[in-house]
Amino acid sequence: MSLHAAPADPFIVARGLGYGRRDERVFGPLDFSLDAGCIALVEGDNGSGKTTLLRVLSGLLHPTTGEARVLGAAPGSEQARAGCAALGHLLGLKGDLTVQENLALGTGLYGAREDADAQAMLEHAGLAGYAHEPVRTLSAGQKKRAALARLALLPAPLWLLDEPYANLDRNGIALVNALLAGHAARGGAALVTSHGAVAFYEGVGYTLRLGT
Amino acid sequence: MSASALPRAFLAMLRRDVVLAWRRRGDALLPVLYAVIVTTLFPFALGPEHALLARISGGVVLVTVLLAMLLSLDAVFRGDLEDGALEHMLLAPQPLALLMAARMLAYWLVTALPLVLVAPLLAYMLGLDAVAQPVLLLALLLASALLDLLGIVLTALTVGTRRSGMLLSLMLLPLAVPVVIFAAGAVGAAQQGLPWIAPLAWLAAALALALVLAPLACATALRIALDS
Repeated sequence: MSLHAAPADPFIVARGLGYGRRDERVFGPLDFSLDAGCIALVEGDNGSGKTTLLRVLSGLLHPTTGEARVLGAAPGSEQARAGCAALGHLLGLKGDLTVQENLALGTGLYGAREDADAQAMLEHAGLAGYAHEPVRTLSAGQKKRAALARLALLPAPLWLLDEPYANLDRNGIALVNALLAGHAARGGAALVTSHGAVAFYEGVGYTLRLGT
Repeated sequence: MSASALPRAFLAMLRRDVVLAWRRRGDALLPVLYAVIVTTLFPFALGPEHALLARISGGVVLVTVLLAMLLSLDAVFRGDLEDGALEHMLLAPQPLALLMAARMLAYWLVTALPLVLVAPLLAYMLGLDAVAQPVLLLALLLASALLDLLGIVLTALTVGTRRSGMLLSLMLLPLAVPVVIFAAGAVGAAQQGLPWIAPLAWLAAALALALVLAPLACATALRIALDS
């Protein structure tokens, strides 16, 4: 899959970006940009608008002020969706399908990275023995690992991750950081939210603080 | 995006829905049992007069099958909304209408097809003439596909609303009126030995239109319903 934006263009540009619900400001106005190879942390207390920011950037919500460009296009447009993979609080795994079937569904919808190998990725995520288990039998942390493994198989260069550390043990946190490092090394970028209680990825480009 | 991405996504979605239905195949049996029981009630309510039952058999089977299809319609998107899979469909690079077309086909295969297959037995039980049986089957194939398409568009509109089942019935049943009129008209004509092709041709024309427009309408309806 080719990236439509020229390499020099930032993956995300936000100018005065803000969102409000019934005249009440949820976040913003924000000005920032995210370049290729950069991992940015969005930090803020509960209710500071981290999830809303990611939903605006993925195109699920329309900003009330300012504008954002994702991969050179409007958020949610076909061009933006083609290069963007999101992981939210709801993981989107089907409980009645096995881990492997869920991964195959993800790559069926989004395409697979050329060098990606589902089996190796499951081993990397610590789910080696669970490929044929229905997802509903897994623990919350294992479900999160399965969702992360699915994410890492996709070719999308831009990741929007909402609280990827939630429910994970220490090894899981290291897994997220390893996936982020690999993604940045391939030239990908990610916007990651966290309420700031974990050991975050060390190569972080910058931190965006919300709700101060 | 390569040219193979669209069929791949369509098949992935179709496969997902069929596998999910197979894992819960007991649920798929419920509408069939419902149709069998409702049809059995008619002879009890109207008496065992053969001529009367044979005359109403086509209409009874049609209406029963359409109502049975409604039973599980409001659950089409509920699971996906609750576990976040619906958001992933919205965010997928493929056109949402394509994914919705796959879901419509899957719902028809899983819910409508078993009902259509059991319908000739129900009609036989009520004494429908053998000559009218193929017409009933043809009418049901067309009518069930048409209502599957219309029903899922309306389900997309009501996604996220509470008690959507009742609302959905109230919205879909008026749309089902012309479908029932044409389908029952064809069966009635066949029973009387009259030409029956015209009403079925109307149904087929409506189905051709819906096949093109319904996935697009469904995608738009979903985006409207989830934009909050």
